Amino acid sequence: MFDRRFLEHFDWWLFLAVLLLMAIGFVNLNSGSAATGYCFQWKQLQWYIAGTVLMLGLVVFFDYRLLTVYSVHIYLIMVFMLILVVFIGKTVGGSQRWLSLGFMNIQPSELAKIATVIVLSSYFYHDDRPQYSLTDLWRPFLLMLVPIFLIYHQPDLGTALFLVLIFASLVYMARLEWTSFLLLLGSVIAAFPVVWEFLKPYQRNRIINFFSPEKDPLGAGYHISQSKIAIGSGQILGKGYMKGSQAHLNFLPEVHTDFAFAIWAEEWGWVGAVILLGIFFLMLYRGFLIASQSRERFGAFLAFGVTAMLFWQVVINIGMVMGLMPVVGIPLPLVSYGGSSVFTTLIGVGLLLNVRSRRFMFQKGTRTR
Amino acid sequence: MKFKVKTIWRVKRFDRLDQEANKRRCDVAILIMFLCVVTFCARLWHLQIVQGEHFREQSERNRIRSVRLQPPRGKILDRTGRLLAGVKPCFNVCLVREDVGDMEALLAKLSPLLGETEAEIRTRLGSEHKGPKYVPIVIKRGAEWETLSRIESRLFNLPGVFIEVTPARKYPYGSIAPHLLGYLGEISREDIVKERYKGARSGDLIGKCGIEERYENDLAGIKGQRRLEVDAGGRLVRVIDEKPPVPGKDLYLSIDLDLQQASEEAMKGYVGALVALDPQTGRILALVSSPAFDPDAFATGINNEEWKALNDPVSRPLQNKALQGRYAPASTFKIVMAAAALQEGIVTKNTSFKCTSQFRLGRSVFRCWDWRGHGQTNLYKALVESCDIYFYQVGLKLGIKKIEKYAKAFGLGTKTGIDLPNESRGFIATPDWKLGRYNEPWQEGETLITAIGQGFTLATPLQMACLIAAVANGGTLYSPVYLEKMTGPDGHIVASFESDPKDKLPISETNLRIIKRALLGAVEDKKATGKQCKLPDVHVAGKTGTAQVIGQAKRRQEKNLVWKHRDHAWFVAYAPAERPELAVAVLCEHAGHGGSVAAPIARKVFETWFQIQSPLPVLRPHKTAFNVNNTDDHV
Repeated sequence: MFDRRFLEHFDWWLFLAVLLLMAIGFVNLNSGSAATGYCFQWKQLQWYIAGTVLMLGLVVFFDYRLLTVYSVHIYLIMVFMLILVVFIGKTVGGSQRWLSLGFMNIQPSELAKIATVIVLSSYFYHDDRPQYSLTDLWRPFLLMLVPIFLIYHQPDLGTALFLVLIFASLVYMARLEWTSFLLLLGSVIAAFPVVWEFLKPYQRNRIINFFSPEKDPLGAGYHISQSKIAIGSGQILGKGYMKGSQAHLNFLPEVHTDFAFAIWAEEWGWVGAVILLGIFFLMLYRGFLIASQSRERFGAFLAFGVTAMLFWQVVINIGMVMGLMPVVGIPLPLVSYGGSSVFTTLIGVGLLLNVRSRRFMFQKGTRTR
Repeated sequence: MKFKVKTIWRVKRFDRLDQEANKRRCDVAILIMFLCVVTFCARLWHLQIVQGEHFREQSERNRIRSVRLQPPRGKILDRTGRLLAGVKPCFNVCLVREDVGDMEALLAKLSPLLGETEAEIRTRLGSEHKGPKYVPIVIKRGAEWETLSRIESRLFNLPGVFIEVTPARKYPYGSIAPHLLGYLGEISREDIVKERYKGARSGDLIGKCGIEERYENDLAGIKGQRRLEVDAGGRLVRVIDEKPPVPGKDLYLSIDLDLQQASEEAMKGYVGALVALDPQTGRILALVSSPAFDPDAFATGINNEEWKALNDPVSRPLQNKALQGRYAPASTFKIVMAAAALQEGIVTKNTSFKCTSQFRLGRSVFRCWDWRGHGQTNLYKALVESCDIYFYQVGLKLGIKKIEKYAKAFGLGTKTGIDLPNESRGFIATPDWKLGRYNEPWQEGETLITAIGQGFTLATPLQMACLIAAVANGGTLYSPVYLEKMTGPDGHIVASFESDPKDKLPISETNLRIIKRALLGAVEDKKATGKQCKLPDVHVAGKTGTAQVIGQAKRRQEKNLVWKHRDHAWFVAYAPAERPELAVAVLCEHAGHGGSVAAPIARKVFETWFQIQSPLPVLRPHKTAFNVNNTDDHV
């Protein structure tokens, strides 16, 4: 059963990048935990270990091609869990996002990200066209509307928009006709004033603040100002591990989750931040490469979708922390604290490695029956 | 495997054109990603290197420190506005670990000043070791004046130490109804993450039980915040802004301080509970659970020994026995039985049974408490002298189903609905329950002992108080309330509390009148079991109860009964019998007979009440309303 080519095709670079990210995540969380007074790092370590075992198990014992069959089940489970959140979800900080399993709380909207990628990849695999027009896309669009609405309802606008981004990325991969693209772009721009009306006051504030954070340094722009001070004050080599005054004097909010990058940049400086970015680059580059080298449509879409998912998370989170984007609660993969996020990321990476490792099955000379 | 072959192995491979198109799109994506990373690096360069100096400076004189402003906790007052629990300043010696420098030297200096060993101080520091940085740790809560002055004068020599003033509870009349009021204690690690206590920090005091816990959110008020600009050394530059704290709301209880104090005094030395209600409104006037505890102790910290004493398995000082203690109602249950028998038409007030002090059912013999027997006994006599034989007969004729129905209708077996957590619902046994629990059918003998309130039936003192209040007021069963109103800090009323009639007793007015007449006799008559509660000037109506804890046979073996085998004493009563103002239920654990132990306690409560109502003896009601000797008289 076991094929030597399997190991040959295993993407060691990607695996290394993930291990490095987890190491950095742990080290950084150690400092973040000290700042907040809790012991996040040990819990996170448990999740890293469990997630890695799951990831490797996924690579070895699971053939990703099975997902083309089971995508319907995955979709239904995802929707079911999101509906469950509406009824028995735990409310924290005003939004109902968590399901309590007793020993841990899971965040179905986080797992919905990876589920979305699988479901859409499977859809585009089955509905194989050289190009798509808007009329061809109404079915996957409807498919996505259900989880997006449920997540928006929690309310978690950030994650809901994130699913839209994943959808858009996969549509890009599937190729949209030029006319349809222009039509879509036009209608999005036209719809903006309408959407603005629907936004909640705090959401509008975030957008206003993004464009002029200095207007209200003690109000809603406070987080971004403090985060910029934290990053900037790190200078070239940083203030030193565990010595980030912004984080440890509690000027920085959410140092263990959304602002994890800020404390890293504060304590390790430009050098540390660029190294972290470099590792992310390595991970994403290998991901896109897997998509590009895949020999069949489903693998390509799956790999591309997973990588795009990670890519957007990195861009949105780091962009937000550096003041390049509005404040949205999207975690930084593997560096931010959070079990559901860690699992989502590691399942995604597991799928990437899976696609890559099974590439040989489609090589010339291999019988595909 | 068949299915696999069909679906998976046939995954469509790319043809050459597709492969190239796919590669192109991925290349574009890689390019976009590369540009993003470059942008980020550039942005980082801009922030950290171009503007780095500027931001470093900002972070160094950063700047805003926020100080929490504690609001004074809401007061708890009695129904006439006397202060039961107020606020006083509490001086805490605090320490900021990060400012200390040499911890060993500091501890050596602090130890004699505080009068504690270094190890003791260290444990308090150690337990908080994982707390956030620069957050003060309380090392001595509620320090005394001498300690404070000793430390205050040496503060310059004690880096990192400072004295903080926080509001704490004071009890001007001493500890009053601690079980009802509850106490304040340090927030636990489990509670701190709860949504309810948002914004709390470790070391904060929160309400731990009773009213303090139930109305935590109203009493606590809203914390304020003062934002200060400080320099790198932590010195104050200026105050930026201040959000003043909002004081907590005040609670006016329906408790009457005098009555409560007298009740607590009367219950002293007994383990048990006492509840006094206004039968017309369902308001609680006094609620005692004995023994009491000192609520102050929890705020300043309890040592091991005190904690052991508080959790003594025999007297259970922390348990609110009025709500949580479950006891066989014994003869007080005969009120329910009499009502059921009359209402179901099993007896009239003239029906009589002969009591020979023995009752034979099959092969077993059931006895009356009085070995001499009561002779011909009608309902009036049966209640006055608490004849068991009469109620055996009634119980047999009623059957367990009917008994259960009436017990429920009188509020037993269900929560009274008082607005406090952890109320017990008591218990009513049914044949179905017994079959389910012991897999045995119901015995007729069990119906008999149920009829005199022994056996499986359990009631809380609060339930019995509501029951007797319902009898007193003509049949309305109330959900008791202990609050009159809640007022804001400026004195305006935020909420008023009325008790809602929960149920109506299913007893006709005539029948209830017969029972009330008999209850009057049960205190006022010559042979009455409750005559120790008789008052010279006011008619009291009531019923005694003596709950056996162990079986008759075993009782006879023991000459000197050990404490835990002695009977529970019950007494439920109301007065004045004509226009009831006060209903009382008393329970004393393992104290002996209801008539000799519980009834005198109730009498003290009634005496106090009528003393409060009309301090001049001339104005007190007199026993002229009716002739006690005529049992036909309407109450």
